[in-house]
Amino acid sequence: MAAVEKRRPAVAPAASFADSGRPAVSRAAATAESEEDFLRQVGVTEMLRAALLKVLEARPEEPIAFLAHYFENMGLRSPTNGGAGEPPGQLLLQQQRLGRALWHLRLAHHSQRTAFNNNVSVAYECLSASGRKKKPGLDGRTYSELLKRICRDGEAPEEVVAPLLHKIQCRDHEAVPLDVFRAGMLTCFVLLEFVARASALYQLLEDPALAVADRHVGQAVLDTLEGALQASDGGAVPARYLEAGSRLGPDSLALAMDRALVARRPSSPMTREEFLEKAAALFIAKVKPVA
Amino acid sequence: MLSPDRLALPDYEYLAQRHVLTYMEDAVCQLLENKEDISQYGVARFFTEYFNSVCQGTHILFREFSFIQATPHNRASFLRAFWKCFRTVGKNGDLLTMREYHCLLQLLCPDFPLELTQKAARIVLMDDAMDCLMSFSDFLLAFQIQFYYSEFLESVAAIYQDLLAGKNPNTVIVPTSSSGQHRQRPPLGEASVLEGVEASLFSQCLENLCDRHKYSCPPPALVKEVLSNVQRLTFYGFLVALSKHHGINQALGALPDKGDLMHDPAMDEELERLLAQVPGLVNSAPANPEAGCLPFRTPPRVGSPWRPLHHARKVDAESDGSTEETDESET
Repeated sequence: MAAVEKRRPAVAPAASFADSGRPAVSRAAATAESEEDFLRQVGVTEMLRAALLKVLEARPEEPIAFLAHYFENMGLRSPTNGGAGEPPGQLLLQQQRLGRALWHLRLAHHSQRTAFNNNVSVAYECLSASGRKKKPGLDGRTYSELLKRICRDGEAPEEVVAPLLHKIQCRDHEAVPLDVFRAGMLTCFVLLEFVARASALYQLLEDPALAVADRHVGQAVLDTLEGALQASDGGAVPARYLEAGSRLGPDSLALAMDRALVARRPSSPMTREEFLEKAAALFIAKVKPVA
Repeated sequence: MLSPDRLALPDYEYLAQRHVLTYMEDAVCQLLENKEDISQYGVARFFTEYFNSVCQGTHILFREFSFIQATPHNRASFLRAFWKCFRTVGKNGDLLTMREYHCLLQLLCPDFPLELTQKAARIVLMDDAMDCLMSFSDFLLAFQIQFYYSEFLESVAAIYQDLLAGKNPNTVIVPTSSSGQHRQRPPLGEASVLEGVEASLFSQCLENLCDRHKYSCPPPALVKEVLSNVQRLTFYGFLVALSKHHGINQALGALPDKGDLMHDPAMDEELERLLAQVPGLVNSAPANPEAGCLPFRTPPRVGSPWRPLHHARKVDAESDGSTEETDESET
């Protein structure tokens, strides 16, 4: 508010120039009031409030860049801007909707679950706006398209995520309810992060000279991972998580790797793609398919 | 990837820490001043451009001083803009006086206070002979410290004065016996012989200051390093050391290393682009009656600031008294 208040006194002397003191004051007040009215009329007040709420929800590292993107996206869909050209074709419209939905989905990391859930709902509304007259909700084709876009932008190899898409995709003409949509989006984002971490893990196993890892060591790591994932089965009992955590602890993992190294059987090397595919398969095996 | 600090802060602190509200308020003020633009391009577009310019650091160009110094990001952006716009001065090897540098600063910020420029010049000239000529990089690096850490340096000056007067501002906070002994010495006799204050004691006081300072201050480890190299030092000695410390320059992040201040081929292109903007604005300034706050003798200079300046410098040196008069009347 400081800047606004500083502006006010600047208005007053300018006004008093023309007239005596008292009318000037009322004129300054009138200006302030009309400015507020103006901001409300043009929709600035509402727009900034929404933007601020988004910033607080997502808590971006760089809020100013976040705001620039936020308003840019808003400008793309506002009629004042889009109205300049000819009405966009159906396909273009669909692309715009997808882009907007993606943008909402990426506003908050999935670990900030409340913010993420809110954004998923907004994205869902964006997409389901297409069937104006018909039932609300979106069809399977749009949903699959969105999943594919997320995976593609997530830079995970296609063969790694393909099994997941297969599992959580809906049929093209099926209506996708919100909870299926939300579960799908969440799974997709979590898998992408899982793959990114698996990739970092492989980096550690990799022989820098040969750009491959020892098959036995790689397999030992994957087996440990599998064991931990199995341990976490059977509901969200905290003790299960603890067990899974301890199985992945440095000592038990090191033990497994050590055993694999000591065996020292001649083996074919393991590539990054293979490792990632196997690791992702462990994760995807846990995903419940869409009924 | 995720910074738990940022997520754990209360809403208001998060916004304050990143100055989100400062920029939102300023965006609204700018919008109110440019209502015609909105009717043409729409509010969203206006805000997009505003926040993009904040990211790029071009938002501070030709703005009022109170805004330029409002956030650390604005200060760094201003330093960068000053360097980008007037780097050619340094490239040509021109030496300018404090007042000439002040004119350059006013080209980017019309109400830039003379006092700040004077303080920066004092760092270069060690508090004497304020009409001496300075090289661009010397001035820029000193100015950077003075401008960016302005509030911090105020506090440092107060501490320095206290130490000089023989009292330890931190007696309660620094109760170690050794520092007590050190403190006793200067008043006993050395003070009259030696200039300045004892570095280790000064260092302790500054460490405390950095801890509780709410404005930005240089990295405490680097301050300590600067002070650990000497036995005693004066206030300006300290500021000179800060301005020449490349680690502090790096931490501040607005300017490249001193050696690279003049060599940056990529910047030359950008400079051309920026310069294309500056004359346009400068040409319109004399037509505007409100531009009266600019010194009346600047307009002929500003068309291409670095050429006539070299010539003007001699004039200034010769007719010292008269220029001072004109300058005083402006401020």
